[in-house]
Amino acid sequence: MTVCSQTYGGSKRFKTSLPTTQDSCSYSGRDLLKSFIIAALNREEVVHVLCFDVSEEELRDRLKPLDTQRLHIHNAYSDPLGWTGHPAFTVQQFSLEDLTGLIKQTSQPKAALLVIDSLSWILRHMTPPTVCRTLQQLRKGGAVRAVIGLLHTDMHQRGTVGSVCHLATSLISVAPGVKGNEAVAKITKRSKSGKVLQDEEIFCITEDLTVTILSKPSHPEPKQNNTEEEQADPTANLTFNLRLSDSELEAKQKLALPFVFSKEKKTALLHPGPGTGRILYEPDANDDYDQEDPDDDLDV
Amino acid sequence: MAAPMNTVGKTPAERLPVYSTSFQKKTRSKLISIPGTRPSVQNGQLLVSTGVTSLDYLLGGGLAVGTVLLIEEDRYDSYSRMILKYFLAEGVVCRHELFVATAQDTPDDILQELPAPILDDIAVPKPVEHSRLTGELQESLDAMKIAWRYQNLPKVQSALASSSRFGHYYDVSKTMEVEIRQATKCHLFYLPDHVTPPSTAHRVESYSALLRSLQEVIHREGFDLAAPMFSQSKSRNILRVGLHSLGSVLWGDDLCCHDKPRHSHALTTFLYGLRALLRSSLSVAVVTIPSHLIQDRALMGSITRLCDNAIALESFKGSERETNPLYKDYHGLLYVRQVPHLNCLASQLPDHKDLAFKLKRKQFSIERLHLPPDLSETVSRVSRGDLAGVASACGSKNLDF
Repeated sequence: MTVCSQTYGGSKRFKTSLPTTQDSCSYSGRDLLKSFIIAALNREEVVHVLCFDVSEEELRDRLKPLDTQRLHIHNAYSDPLGWTGHPAFTVQQFSLEDLTGLIKQTSQPKAALLVIDSLSWILRHMTPPTVCRTLQQLRKGGAVRAVIGLLHTDMHQRGTVGSVCHLATSLISVAPGVKGNEAVAKITKRSKSGKVLQDEEIFCITEDLTVTILSKPSHPEPKQNNTEEEQADPTANLTFNLRLSDSELEAKQKLALPFVFSKEKKTALLHPGPGTGRILYEPDANDDYDQEDPDDDLDV
Repeated sequence: MAAPMNTVGKTPAERLPVYSTSFQKKTRSKLISIPGTRPSVQNGQLLVSTGVTSLDYLLGGGLAVGTVLLIEEDRYDSYSRMILKYFLAEGVVCRHELFVATAQDTPDDILQELPAPILDDIAVPKPVEHSRLTGELQESLDAMKIAWRYQNLPKVQSALASSSRFGHYYDVSKTMEVEIRQATKCHLFYLPDHVTPPSTAHRVESYSALLRSLQEVIHREGFDLAAPMFSQSKSRNILRVGLHSLGSVLWGDDLCCHDKPRHSHALTTFLYGLRALLRSSLSVAVVTIPSHLIQDRALMGSITRLCDNAIALESFKGSERETNPLYKDYHGLLYVRQVPHLNCLASQLPDHKDLAFKLKRKQFSIERLHLPPDLSETVSRVSRGDLAGVASACGSKNLDF
């Protein structure tokens, strides 16, 4: 569960943060999202899930039958646009007032964790400024402790992805790894003081949705490092002796150089005091040269 | 020829000990003397300091009053925010008034993070202080045994600074004390308080609300140049305007989201109005824009043209340049996109185009990027054959060097 505690590292300070998971069609981030949900439930938190992309059954599929009292899944899959007249959750309800009302309905004392699966779906039906404003308001309001969103990067323009990720405090980008069931995650965390931490890890998710970190990825060594070999010792293999023994080295250090000054004179020369070398000048009559008047230097 | 040092027209607070040139224009003090400003030696414009002395040097001595400085943000908005905080902190120290507008964090958050000024009067941080004990002094002297006269000089002259002291230095590790900050008057604009988000926005309302609020503050507090408040009783002051992350999504603008934004003229209209407002008042503005999110480069070009000064920051954090040994001493690169030409035909361009910045604890230094000398054995030398080939192409015989 190391991945989860890393991304929740900011949330442990009880500030609402916005970890966002980015994936693409080559590797789905939904399993990672489910493992986050399980981790949160294991920590006795209340989790609300807005389920747009997949149906509720599919989401509950591999989640263990835990204490489901703390897990609330809002089904926005069956009728998100309100076509049937009595929808469960529509995309128009993704606003601060409606979401706060929804979360407060469960009347839990602790602030909840909101998981959005997925933000891409919402971004297709609402403008990005509106979505970002709602996310920012959720962050500032007190009803939600943290918001985790899943974003499919290949579904949007680069600017949209960039804008949403700009808001996020932590960003996890997942991509398929070298071997079959492995994946590479690039983690970027921004702290309030402006420090940015970046990390890259290889992980795999097992059947019961636990995440195991395998190793850090090894990059191919840059060529410059390899060519920095040991410099050949120039004093070897000579017919005469260029090396110094220890006693000779000491004698060399102790030798007084010819034009060496004592320490006091050196400091006096290096740090000139206030009284040395100042030029005192009082302008006299000859300096009163007015450039405007060409006849000023005439003695008339 | 000795030039007369004419300091009659200046107040004692503005007599600076060392100048880059000793030339002083002989004026009859028609210039308004406001604390924290000085006239430029190039074109006589009234300049204020940005808070970062190296940036002042790049911009030709400082920011001219009535102009806009555009900062293109780095990817994680750390250094551009730092420069904005330096600008506001300089305003606090010089006792100017501040106007801060944000959409993401509240303006109070930014004001609480202002760096603490270093208030003792050392102009340039010296490498060896006078007050060291003799033991340490001996160590420093032993650093160079033979060439000891040169040991206090920097190895390469790379810091850009003029020798006159105009701005102040700040300690980034400490925040400014609340008493100092509360002595200045701050006008705050936080977007969610002013604009109720409409569900369908045909125009971007946030910029016009901001412009209206700024105009109202300028008129009410008397920064207007045209106002008949030239009475001697009220002294003039400068208004420093800091606008954080304009054009980002939280201002309601889709400039950063779409490749072809629907309201592409909202920000440019705002900048045009802002510049008109600033030219007719005693204010100076610093605007940061997340330009790495703006996909339309032509639009970014017109935004740059609409501001007077423009710099762009690129931080190495998270990019592949972080591991490049060339950049290991620096935190990022700085590009000067535009310098203004105010009331003159030519502008003063910086003579070094490759600049890198480094945020140290007591200084934000901008230095020119220089390659270290390549002293390794494997440096490639042009072989004689190549030289001869070049020479024969020029039509002359073997050149023997």
